[in-house]
Amino acid sequence: MESMKDKAAIVGVGYTPQGKVPGRSSMSFHIEAARNAIEDAGLKIGQVDGLLMQPPMAAIGDPMVAPAYLAQKLGLRVRFMAAHDVWGASAGCMAQHAAWAVVHELADYVVCTYGENALSGTSEYGAALNGGIEYGMFGAVAGYALAARRGIYEFGAGPETWKEIAVAARKWANLNPAARYHDRPMSYEDYYNSRLIVDPFRLFDICLISDGGRAFIVTTAERARDCKKKPVYIMGMGQDHSATNAPQATHLAGPIGAKVSGEEAYKMAGVTRKDIDACEIYDCFTYTVELTLAGYGFFAPGEGKDFLKAERLAPGGDFPVNTSGGQLSEAYFQGFTALTEAIVQLRGEAGKRQLGAVTKTREPEIIMVSHNGGVLQTHSTLILRR
Amino acid sequence: MSYEKPLPIIDEDNAPYWEYAREHQLRMQKCAGCGHIRFPVSLVCPRCHSLETEWTKLSGKGKVYSYVIYHQAYHPAYKDDIPYAVAIIQLKEGPRMESNITDCHMEDIEIGMPVELYFDDVTGDVSLPKFRLGEGG
Repeated sequence: MESMKDKAAIVGVGYTPQGKVPGRSSMSFHIEAARNAIEDAGLKIGQVDGLLMQPPMAAIGDPMVAPAYLAQKLGLRVRFMAAHDVWGASAGCMAQHAAWAVVHELADYVVCTYGENALSGTSEYGAALNGGIEYGMFGAVAGYALAARRGIYEFGAGPETWKEIAVAARKWANLNPAARYHDRPMSYEDYYNSRLIVDPFRLFDICLISDGGRAFIVTTAERARDCKKKPVYIMGMGQDHSATNAPQATHLAGPIGAKVSGEEAYKMAGVTRKDIDACEIYDCFTYTVELTLAGYGFFAPGEGKDFLKAERLAPGGDFPVNTSGGQLSEAYFQGFTALTEAIVQLRGEAGKRQLGAVTKTREPEIIMVSHNGGVLQTHSTLILRR
Repeated sequence: MSYEKPLPIIDEDNAPYWEYAREHQLRMQKCAGCGHIRFPVSLVCPRCHSLETEWTKLSGKGKVYSYVIYHQAYHPAYKDDIPYAVAIIQLKEGPRMESNITDCHMEDIEIGMPVELYFDDVTGDVSLPKFRLGEGG
């Protein structure tokens, strides 16, 4: 297979108002995010000829929240278009599919979008994710908590490690004015005092539900050099979808798709874990971060407890993770949270939370980005560089 | 009093499973080609893609593979049930299934402990396979 290293780049990111934003449709967030990404890249509307969208959970199958309708509203006539739904891994997988598309001339510029009024609208996040409703298995939390309990049993996962992940994310959020918890610090005591939702998970092990949208634009490395902003190159990528649902899965305590897709991405990029300056990890739950970083080889299975310390992951630390506050403390956008943050960091546009001198961390050259969906059933890895 | 909790989503594929459950039998598809017992229901065996299956009766003995305790009622009908346990049961014959563990103190549940099947007749048409602490397999 030909190497895709550095052949495609991300050239635009689009944000929207986020958090609790009542009175907005999911489609309106897709539209605004895409519009802002196109403007950010300095592109004319007519130049965008590819579109991938992740339909909101509450609207899968709804023709009014479909790619063609989004293209119409944006005034786009495209030659590459699809709805893309591998759950939380969609953002990373979209970037990969868009990269292949532009390199093989299926499109010049592909806009990839997400948007949902998940907090204010008719959210499905409390419904059964995939089965078990008759046993009261509500929410994605059911499967992840079952996985986490298995992690406790098999290798000593647990709140002792998870509190570090939660507190570090909060410290980053405290530097991000757009974050849900910007003004609210979290101590270890706050973590332990947060109520048990689905034991072994407390409230602060669980991500937010947010209104809002995000978008990004992928093009070839060559075209990227003519765009308005500095390109962020896709150095390495990989996917691994274990697919099996939690009750039948053998990966609840790892290794998850991070291992195979991570090895693929390292190989393509020609780097090792030592070259990674920061990680933006899909954090639907604290435990997901622990399993993902183990999969990427940053520590041996079961040694997360020693490795994952808030002072290392937080501002000023030697291993920065989820520098926007992540989905635990900034906003939940099906993994677009992680990808857009990596782009903003590599461009040096992250303000008070900017990696490098501002936060006494390494200058970011290379950032690893994970996406994970279902209950550890889908996984994408991207290695991005500036 | 009517049963207010969500019922299983019964479709063309899983209807036999729930019909057997109504008769208080736990039956799953056993591949006639390779003998693999699969769950959830599927048209083909995920190991060998054989279309030939028989609905084999399981002993109902198993062990706790994992479990969680709900402290939040995501549905009003569960308000009086919390805390309640959702578990993955490793059945003696090989497959694993989600269910509830009932009739015990939540703090007594542990991974690996033996459990036994019973049927909860929640409506006239639907019986749910559930588990209690037991002899196991």
